[in-house]
Amino acid sequence: MRSYLTLNAQILYWLFIAPFRGRFVRWAPVFQQMVRIGVQAVPMTALTSFSIGITLAMQGAHELTRMGASSFVPDLVAMTILRELGPLLVGVVVIGRSGSAVTAELGTMKVSEEIEALEVMAIDPVRFLVVPRFLAMMVMLPTLTVFGNYVGMTGGWAICHFSLHMQTDGYIRRLVESSHPMDLYSGMVKSVVFAWLIITISCVYGLGVRGGAEGVGRATTNSVVVSILTMLIADAVLTAMFFFTAS
Amino acid sequence: MSEPIIEVRDLVRKFGDRTVLDGISFTVEKGDTMIIMGGSGCGKSTLLRHIIGSMKPTSGSIKIFGEEITTMSPRDLDRLRLRFGMNFQFGALLQSLTVGENVALPLIENSTVDPSIVDLVVKMKLELVGLTGFEHLKPAEISGGMRKRVGLARAVALDPELLFSDEPTSGLDPIMTAVIDQLTLDLTRKLDMTAVVVSHDMTSAFRIGTKMIMLGAGPKQGQIVAMGTPEEIRNSTSPEVQQFINGHPDGPIPLKLAKADYLDRLLGHPRPGDIGV
Repeated sequence: MRSYLTLNAQILYWLFIAPFRGRFVRWAPVFQQMVRIGVQAVPMTALTSFSIGITLAMQGAHELTRMGASSFVPDLVAMTILRELGPLLVGVVVIGRSGSAVTAELGTMKVSEEIEALEVMAIDPVRFLVVPRFLAMMVMLPTLTVFGNYVGMTGGWAICHFSLHMQTDGYIRRLVESSHPMDLYSGMVKSVVFAWLIITISCVYGLGVRGGAEGVGRATTNSVVVSILTMLIADAVLTAMFFFTAS
Repeated sequence: MSEPIIEVRDLVRKFGDRTVLDGISFTVEKGDTMIIMGGSGCGKSTLLRHIIGSMKPTSGSIKIFGEEITTMSPRDLDRLRLRFGMNFQFGALLQSLTVGENVALPLIENSTVDPSIVDLVVKMKLELVGLTGFEHLKPAEISGGMRKRVGLARAVALDPELLFSDEPTSGLDPIMTAVIDQLTLDLTRKLDMTAVVVSHDMTSAFRIGTKMIMLGAGPKQGQIVAMGTPEEIRNSTSPEVQQFINGHPDGPIPLKLAKADYLDRLLGHPRPGDIGV
């Protein structure tokens, strides 16, 4: 826990204080990480979000049609995805893909003395390894979430169009009318918080690895488990905040 | 005589109950090549880690360039670290970067030189260790011995005043060992670099060393059992030293436990009607 807070402080130092002392963030590794964390996650995010869009629409259609309210299916899909499932599912995808990879990579570097070598060369491992990953995650997770939202709603459209015989323009109009900007914003706030949690947890577990290959494996498992748990708890807390402030 | 480059005084390090370093004191003068030798697990690498500041001692003092490093802030330590290079036992190269990028790393991160100069320096340093043309390979694509040599090239990339080497020649063929030794000699004799080399390759140690210390094992774990010039060490009357430099399997440094002990350990209990040894 202490090392976690220290890491956060160090990241903030390198981002906000060090530039004023003439030590800027290097951009090349940030973009490299953005490709690995973000761009390469696009297919998986698309598939996950599309499936969930379809599933939501089918479940909703099943209930709502019985009440003769099948025209509300788009509302249900939009609200659920924007507020809740979009950020959450993309978070899970990114934890599985990148959080685990970051922990394993940093952990392997730790056990093969690479981190120590960096320190001895007077290169700060946090600046050199953690900050690029942090920035990449902070940009790419919200971006992926927006993308996932679109794909998820496309999944909803597929059901509404082909099964409920709704017109495409009607579906889109319904989406726009029913969702408030606040739905999107609350999802975005969530995804920024998730990004912060995921990358800091992954890095702190990676840098804390002890004891060879086995240690790397253990740290990776812990990192994924703790990331998911923390994300779900943070989600509940944030939802509660939005719920009680809005009403 | 000028101020010593390294001054270690009463260095003690304990891991739990185990004392790994026990009252180590020595100095290294400018231009010296200090060899730290001793059997496996006697604390040579641990000693080196303390001197480069990646481990903190339980007690004692370490001064490099006259500055106390055990109580130093990380920022000051970084400033000091720019003046020395460290060659790790297994190279410790960054796997995600190419050989060339690894050697360039200290230059790019710690100085503001032009990329074309960086390129030139990388080629020069790789030439030194006989690895020209390997810049574009990843560390995983070259052999262990080559990785070690890249590690050395990286350690001298900033032309340090002080070079630390952890077993630079173990795992290298005899010719490459001679090349690395010659390189170390050139750096220290011609450029007046100071070197601290951990080694248990005796041929190489006597070839490059100007000063040697030997760490003890067994009951003398973590203590200096001998210190002096290569001549003094070679002519030392200490049985431990003679056993070590001549490589005798048995002697004052116990390799095996006594036979009776061995049976106890093997059977897990003392043997009734103890047998004579």
